[in-house]
Amino acid sequence: MSKQYLTLHTLTSAHPSDIFALAPKKTRLLSASGASSINIYDTTQSDFPLVQTLENAHPLGIHHLVTAREAQRAASAGFEGKVKIWSAEGENGEWSLDGEIVDGNKPGDVWAIALSADGNYLASSSINGKVNVWALDQQGMPKIREYETKGSFGLCVDLSADGRFTASGHENGSIYIFNNDTSRLSHSVAGLVHPVRSVAFSPASKLLAAAGDARIIALYDVNSGEQVANLTGHGGWVLSVDWSDTGEYLLSASHDSKAKIWRIETRTCVATHSHGDKPLWSAKWLPKVAGRSEMFALGGGNQNIAFYREAAG
Amino acid sequence: MQPHEMEDMLFSFPSSQESQDGVDDESDLLDELPGEEYDSDIDLWEEENTQNLLLPPTPDASLDEDILDEFENAVQLADEIQGTTTGTVKNRDWVIARVEGLIEGILDGLLAGDSELSISLKTRSGISRRDSFQSKQTERAPHPRTRKISFPGSNGQEAWRFTVLVKILQLVHECLIEDVVASKRDLYYRHPDLFVKQSVVDRFVDDLACTLGIPRALLNVTAAAKGLVAGNFTLVRADGTIIHGLNVNEGMLLPNVNSSDTLDISSVQWVIIVEKEATFRHLAKGYPDVSTRTFLQHIADRSPEVRMFAVVDYDPDGIAIMSTYKYGSHRLAHENKTNDDTGGPNLRNLHWLGVHSHHLFRIPQEECAPAITANPNAQGLLRLSPRDRTKACRMLEWDLCTEDGPETDWRRQLQRMLMLNIKAEIQILEESSDGLVAWLEEEIGARDFGKQP
Repeated sequence: MSKQYLTLHTLTSAHPSDIFALAPKKTRLLSASGASSINIYDTTQSDFPLVQTLENAHPLGIHHLVTAREAQRAASAGFEGKVKIWSAEGENGEWSLDGEIVDGNKPGDVWAIALSADGNYLASSSINGKVNVWALDQQGMPKIREYETKGSFGLCVDLSADGRFTASGHENGSIYIFNNDTSRLSHSVAGLVHPVRSVAFSPASKLLAAAGDARIIALYDVNSGEQVANLTGHGGWVLSVDWSDTGEYLLSASHDSKAKIWRIETRTCVATHSHGDKPLWSAKWLPKVAGRSEMFALGGGNQNIAFYREAAG
Repeated sequence: MQPHEMEDMLFSFPSSQESQDGVDDESDLLDELPGEEYDSDIDLWEEENTQNLLLPPTPDASLDEDILDEFENAVQLADEIQGTTTGTVKNRDWVIARVEGLIEGILDGLLAGDSELSISLKTRSGISRRDSFQSKQTERAPHPRTRKISFPGSNGQEAWRFTVLVKILQLVHECLIEDVVASKRDLYYRHPDLFVKQSVVDRFVDDLACTLGIPRALLNVTAAAKGLVAGNFTLVRADGTIIHGLNVNEGMLLPNVNSSDTLDISSVQWVIIVEKEATFRHLAKGYPDVSTRTFLQHIADRSPEVRMFAVVDYDPDGIAIMSTYKYGSHRLAHENKTNDDTGGPNLRNLHWLGVHSHHLFRIPQEECAPAITANPNAQGLLRLSPRDRTKACRMLEWDLCTEDGPETDWRRQLQRMLMLNIKAEIQILEESSDGLVAWLEEEIGARDFGKQP
């Protein structure tokens, strides 16, 4: 059974370059691109106005940008190799720079990044396959975990909402789940053979979604490491997966500019949307707000950010 | 020409190539750096590709400017590591100083009224391969012999030798000061009457490098040009010799166009510059030599209506090679100097025809779901090496590639490569629709649309 989502608004030429990352907060959407600035939009108004620009955050462009689910914290990673931590006072406050990850980190070592829900931990993947975790609430933001893998480029990483697990997806198709409590590898799950470009824990930290060049989205049980489902339907490489707040739906974006919405219960695709003809780098649900229907945002190579909402009824 | 013939020309490789180690690895360079004489290794740099073939003019890579660039970086790095200033480190400034020192010595002798002027050259020519091999076993280069070149000397032959050496010192000095790379062939054509034959230039240049204890690349001199050209043009030499660009099936070495020659390109509407790298990716990347760039400049200056297209690999080097055609040395571009006044060859109207990221995904899905292969010999998408990633990030720092710079598309494509960690060679276009020739027709046709009456 399909679901209807309507285009609510499109910000054309939001960035003068490919939009590589969208990172939502309750009332804001942060966006990053091949340009040097981070844009911040107000998602409570119908025209989604630009309310702040973090100028020259990363001069060579920004490849990753993430926000903490429950805290006013964001992190960005740029092509020059730096990772910057940002924060804001309150939901509607101004964002400003908190610091940079330096402990045990050579510029360029970090590729993908993820923040824990409370914003206290940052996980990163790297080109040499290492997966690291930093404690952002401690003095000097020290590195507290170092996980070794077999050395394949870590294209993506995620931290579970409860902070217990780190997951990484690699270019050779392998997927690892690490237990942050014991600092040990929890599962090396049956991978996808092809590069894995996105991993995401479900809100309850029970499932891990992973996807990439294999064009399927695989769901794994975090505790057992068993693969429990395959979502098939994308025609292009899957670049991004994101769970809705309730864990009922999964939003995915692909290189052939398609976004798909999957109902987890039935494991079916319930909606497909096109976003131009360029790679769709990022698709994110906006946090659920009481009295508002479910919304999501798409950003990609066409430089636009499009907002959709679930059709009433 | 049949499509398969063109493809043979474009993609066939010579069967005999010596294998060589990764000289371009910066750490390797660093290891051998300070002041060692390693001619026998460096000689390999000039062997590289005996064949780059292209239909219209193609670049070739004799010396890879990029390697030189990295070599210099490595020199600087070594410098920093040692915490010294130049001194023992042989970088470009050091080489310039030494060359000037040799010339000064001659001037001093002239001023002092010496009855004989002389320069001592070290040479390894005449040392057999067997000697080299044995010396390699002991990890030492064969010991060079010294020969004295004097003027006026005891006979005309000696006087001529001295004159040749001074002329070469002057030409090398010119290259170094202007920071341009010339091929041995370029040098020869500057004074063919004096040099008599190419091998004379080759030998003196190599001996000069040997004398200074540096790889020849540090003299800014490369092996002879090997860019090939084919097309509907006619070159009439001053002596009446006529060269037809269509008469050669496999392309001809780029002819040197002298001021007394007449180059007829009235039938030429466009030029495609094709990067075709040699088997040794890391050694010969298709960076153009001066003679290739000069030939293209000649066409661009006289017939600005001729459109120029670049077809290069989809990787950081492909874009860097294109930038060398378009702006001259990218090091100059990086420093934001323009070449307009200094006269370095550049083709500001060069259009990037491919390979672009969107070409990579045109392959029909049912046939070939583009899958990255770990096998570098297989055609298709390849993974970026760590060096590729470092190079791409360094290129993003170029003034050309800033967000407000003139080449935002280069910036975008470099970023996409980094995001997906993929690259592809020109050959991938063969798999698109109906092959490379059809692809070229389609792409050029698309650009013609609306441009031509």
